[in-house]
Amino acid sequence: MTGDHYEIDGLAVPDDMEQLHDLLEEASAQHPHVPAADVMMFETAVMELANNVVEHGRPVGQVAWHFRLEVAADSLTARLADSGEEYAGWDAAATHDMPGEMAESGRGLPLASAVLDELDYRREGTSNVWTMVRRWQA
Amino acid sequence: MTDWQTDVSDGVAVIVCPARVSMAVAASFREAIAAAAVQAPKVVVDLGPTTFIDSSGLGALVSGLKTCRQAGGDLRIAAAGEQVRTVLKLTNLDRILRPHDSVEDARRDW
Repeated sequence: MTGDHYEIDGLAVPDDMEQLHDLLEEASAQHPHVPAADVMMFETAVMELANNVVEHGRPVGQVAWHFRLEVAADSLTARLADSGEEYAGWDAAATHDMPGEMAESGRGLPLASAVLDELDYRREGTSNVWTMVRRWQA
Repeated sequence: MTDWQTDVSDGVAVIVCPARVSMAVAASFREAIAAAAVQAPKVVVDLGPTTFIDSSGLGALVSGLKTCRQAGGDLRIAAAGEQVRTVLKLTNLDRILRPHDSVEDARRDW
């Protein structure tokens, strides 16, 4: 079954991240055609973007998000929209710069962009919208 | 709140990780490694149960590595699954955190 979509809402706090894992697990179980390795890497990217919202979303603890996942025959697409203030830190080029080995932070977006075919940010009205796509050979 | 199971024997501390080493547990993971390093600065992180790690979990590992080295020891990782190994490779952390196949393997020659 393809062309399915899933939607879920949460708050940008660490404890609400678990439901994103659970949703991806459920979607994967219902779509055995999606290669396990692709789900695994897509999940990695989704969690990094969600973490980024938790970490940088302002006002802290009051940002709500809406997550939509679309499962197609040859791709997974996620749209993560949050109600926070405009994200000033977005620099598409800089997302590719992996920090040095001894750094303790700064790997989230470079890791996400390394496993995605598309990663895009834009401000839509009062929301920050992150779009993530991973494709495979169907 | 995750309880971090730490066992110390023969001068080596072994910390067993949960299924998801993510943002929700990264701070307590960092503390668990620091606490283990006080008992024995040779620390093995057992990632056998772990199916998912994110960048905050990786940050805690790097922090732990520094803590152990400052205490005259080191940090080794063991039994990492596919997701963990892939993420270590993509972030170049496999250069400083070489995965050992098992806890026994990590403890060998230490």
